Amino acid sequence: MKNIKFQFPALALLALSALLTGLACKRELADLDPATFPTTPEIFIDGFSAGLNYGAFGGSKVTAFDVDTEVKYRGAASMKFAVPDAGDPQGAYAGGAYFTSVGRNLSGYDALTFWAKASKSASIDVVGFGNDFGASNYIATLRDVKVNTNWQKFIIPIPDPSKLTQERGMFFYSEGPEDGLGYTFWIDEVKFEKLGTIAHPRPVILDGQDQTLNAETGQQLNIGGLKVVFNMPDGVDQGVEAAPAYFTFASSNPGVATVSNTGVVSILDAGSAVITAKVGETDADGSLSLTSLGQAVGPTTPAPTPTVSPDSVISLFSNAYTNVPVDLWNTRWQFSTAEDFDLKIAGNDVKRYRNLNFVGIEFTSQQINATSMTHFHLDIWTPDPTDLPKAFKVLLVDFGANGAFGGGDDASHELSFTRPTLVSNQWVSLDIPLSNFTGLVNRAHLAQLVLSGDVPNVYVDNVYFYNKGVVTPPSGPTVAAPTPPTRNPSDVISVFSDAYTNVPGTDFNPNWGQATATSQVAIAGNNTLRYSGLNYQGTQFGSNLDVSGMTHLHVDFWTKNSTLLNIYTISPGPVERPVALTVPTNGWSSIDIPLSQFSPVALNNLIQFKFDGNGDIYLDNLYFYKAGSGGNAPTTAAPTPTFSAANVISVFSDAYTNIAGTDLNPNWGQATVVTQVPVAGNNTLLYTGLNYQGIQLGSNQNLSTMTHLHLDVWTANSTEFKVYIISPGPAEKPYTLTVPTSGWSSVNIPLSEFTPTVNLGNVFQFKFEGNGNIYLDNILFYK
Amino acid sequence: MKINASFLRRCVMLVAVAGLWLGCKEDNGISERKYQLVWEDDFSGTAGTSPDPAKWTYDIGIGPGNDGWGNQELQYYTNRPENVSLDGAGNLAITARKENFSGRAFTSARLNTKGVFAQAYGRYEARMKMPWGPGIWPAFWMLGNNIDEVSWPQCGEIDIMEFRGQQPTLIHGTLHGPGYSGGAAVTKSFALSNSRFDTEFHVFAVEWGENYVDFFVDDTLYQRLTPEDVPGEWVYNQPFFLIMNVAVGGNFVGFPTPQTNFPQTMLVDYVRVYKEVN
Repeated sequence: MKNIKFQFPALALLALSALLTGLACKRELADLDPATFPTTPEIFIDGFSAGLNYGAFGGSKVTAFDVDTEVKYRGAASMKFAVPDAGDPQGAYAGGAYFTSVGRNLSGYDALTFWAKASKSASIDVVGFGNDFGASNYIATLRDVKVNTNWQKFIIPIPDPSKLTQERGMFFYSEGPEDGLGYTFWIDEVKFEKLGTIAHPRPVILDGQDQTLNAETGQQLNIGGLKVVFNMPDGVDQGVEAAPAYFTFASSNPGVATVSNTGVVSILDAGSAVITAKVGETDADGSLSLTSLGQAVGPTTPAPTPTVSPDSVISLFSNAYTNVPVDLWNTRWQFSTAEDFDLKIAGNDVKRYRNLNFVGIEFTSQQINATSMTHFHLDIWTPDPTDLPKAFKVLLVDFGANGAFGGGDDASHELSFTRPTLVSNQWVSLDIPLSNFTGLVNRAHLAQLVLSGDVPNVYVDNVYFYNKGVVTPPSGPTVAAPTPPTRNPSDVISVFSDAYTNVPGTDFNPNWGQATATSQVAIAGNNTLRYSGLNYQGTQFGSNLDVSGMTHLHVDFWTKNSTLLNIYTISPGPVERPVALTVPTNGWSSIDIPLSQFSPVALNNLIQFKFDGNGDIYLDNLYFYKAGSGGNAPTTAAPTPTFSAANVISVFSDAYTNIAGTDLNPNWGQATVVTQVPVAGNNTLLYTGLNYQGIQLGSNQNLSTMTHLHLDVWTANSTEFKVYIISPGPAEKPYTLTVPTSGWSSVNIPLSEFTPTVNLGNVFQFKFEGNGNIYLDNILFYK
Repeated sequence: MKINASFLRRCVMLVAVAGLWLGCKEDNGISERKYQLVWEDDFSGTAGTSPDPAKWTYDIGIGPGNDGWGNQELQYYTNRPENVSLDGAGNLAITARKENFSGRAFTSARLNTKGVFAQAYGRYEARMKMPWGPGIWPAFWMLGNNIDEVSWPQCGEIDIMEFRGQQPTLIHGTLHGPGYSGGAAVTKSFALSNSRFDTEFHVFAVEWGENYVDFFVDDTLYQRLTPEDVPGEWVYNQPFFLIMNVAVGGNFVGFPTPQTNFPQTMLVDYVRVYKEVN
């Protein structure tokens, strides 16, 4: 091992550049002779040739290479390579490169040759030269080199010796286990030679094929399949993979497409161009004929958002649903020219296929059971002509009970879509009854979808199976649950709320065998708990809760289709007790349940919640609190007024006939959220998050005979609250009310407080200003 | 005959051991033979034109027995310029093509001097560059001028050079005669070690006299054959005419493979015939 220098190539490069810099400082340019590089042909004869370094490839077993003095083709030593077994923790393969710090001039040679044998017949993945751990511009590679237990001579022709005037990459190799098993191979007498018996170099690009491709502006294509084929001394042709730097690429029409010296084609404009290449003066076989259509044409708006309930959908690709895994959106089967791209249109994910003749889409590892589905849906968009008989085809393949391709149990059917269904330049939603796929006799192991047809450019979205028979449940709430009031942390034990610090460790979906699908969804940015298809559902607290210092359990709930909903608190035993919640709700319902209703549950040792019932439920702000210290809602109705109806003009009260046509929430640009909530069965006006709020009376009122304005006010958290009455002008005047209140506060304001500013003979509006959450009831004038 | 046969044999031994050909040749007296040019074609002329019709005739088709000229060759021979013409650079180009023609999948050409020129003894040489690829079989050879009377192999055949496209470093020199023809012919090969016959021109020659034929590549004598070396009648004391051709396939070379590139061209810089003078 003493010959081996494990050296970092970067260090070597640094050292070299430092040396060159140093020279430049001391010498005039004119003094410098043209650099001459050694022509040393030997790499490894019986040891490392002068200046040779070795570096193992990343991930390889770094000890795989050794110098062997026992087994050798000739002389005193050979290079031995111990390929590891599969799973070797020290590295998965044997691989490395031999390189020099100073380049060698190899232009006088025509091949790298070596002798090799192995402990068994094997195929070495890769050997070559030109890998210098740096730019490695002139890599030449021989693949699948067949070795056996006899020494044989191998020849790697130099694709173009004139290029190798200062080459540093002398030799490299890479080989993994064969059928999982390691083995040993030896290489000896590695050197560059001028054989003179290698002839007729034939450069090849694109594996020698004359390819034709439609392209579009902005596209980049890599010219691959680069090699040079030589006729070897034994008369047999042998190809050596050659790096792009050996080639000179050319475009017949640089205005349409340019090609870089690394073989990257850039499409610049519409038109046609042919890409060809040479090595030296020899034309390469193979070419790329491009027809650029210019800028790609695609949809500017997303496909229609699906409206089918997630519960009755198996989605492969849609932003509207949780998608099942799809192994490949382009299997690249033989003869398929399809290319696939992922792109976004207005934030919506879309699949794009280009050069589509057919494309395989596979979901074999997690096959789809669409037995309970009735339809297959996909949205497509194509810019291509769709005149008859041009078609777009959809093929579904079921792998049958064996879950594998073949075996005699597969089923499939292809449907073809043409005009008028198929239209250019707009989204086309295909809603295909699965019964139309008459040959698809099974659909419990769907594994492939194949799209094909005469439209080479197709955008695809919202690919899903669904059951049309399932009634589409209502969508969820569009506004967040009301934000709970600010409270002293010691007055709250919150389980689920964005407004408070929740007790940690809660499991919102413990497996109690329920059928309910539980998830958390963001509604207007507010995290909300959703129970879909409730039968029952538990919540396991992270630790036992002592809520004996609290007075109420608060729950916000929303459902359009539930007809039964109970909430339970549970203490060990289990001891549990339900409280029924009124369902369905009209918007969000808030309930504050006195904890006494849960007796005999041990309030100092709660472990769980449970809900049972039916339907789809949204829940938020599940917390215990201590009332009287800022409880957020009155628990009793406002006092019922006792004025004689004959002496009253009522705006908002259950006790009197109110002015007809009054708008309780005119849009004056306010931030206040206005709701009407029942408090102990009494309709109450609630201003949440008040800044200001108007009331537009249904008709102008002559209050000149009235003496007072009456209001019932309840607020736990407001610190400022004013009421105005307004006559046209507007002429308005505030009256300041005392807040917060302690329970319901009944206020009787002499109307003289508003005069003379306000014309009491012609009042048409109210206005409230202030902050906090305010409950109002019995807004009326009396005498 | 100024050659000392036993000395020559020792020389051949030397060659095999040390490869000292030049020294040997000078020592063995062959260079002392004096030859006078009597017939030649240097193939100068306009590209695409046929070679001098006063010097060459053609074998056309697939052979008199419809059997690929007795060798199961695959080509149809024509005298079209596509198959045989001057290249304008002083060479004759005999080109084998892959094309359907009169029931065959390949075309090529075969020229000879039968009825135009024949001679017994002398030096016969051609400077040529070989085509290449499996199944390509070019040759420069001679047949006894009495072939129509006594037929082959009684007429005798001197193969100055035969080449297999799949063995680019190797050529063969051979005598076919009664009792030693076809696979039983008397033959020897010559190999280049650091170059190939299909990448550069080489001179192939025989020096033929009474009871001997010496085979050369460039300046190297690699085979001498005499009546003692053939297991039958020595039929080489009569006039022979010249033949050049590029065959495709046939039982000497095997089928072309997908690796064989077409067209394949043999270039002939010149053909010269000398007679020995004293």
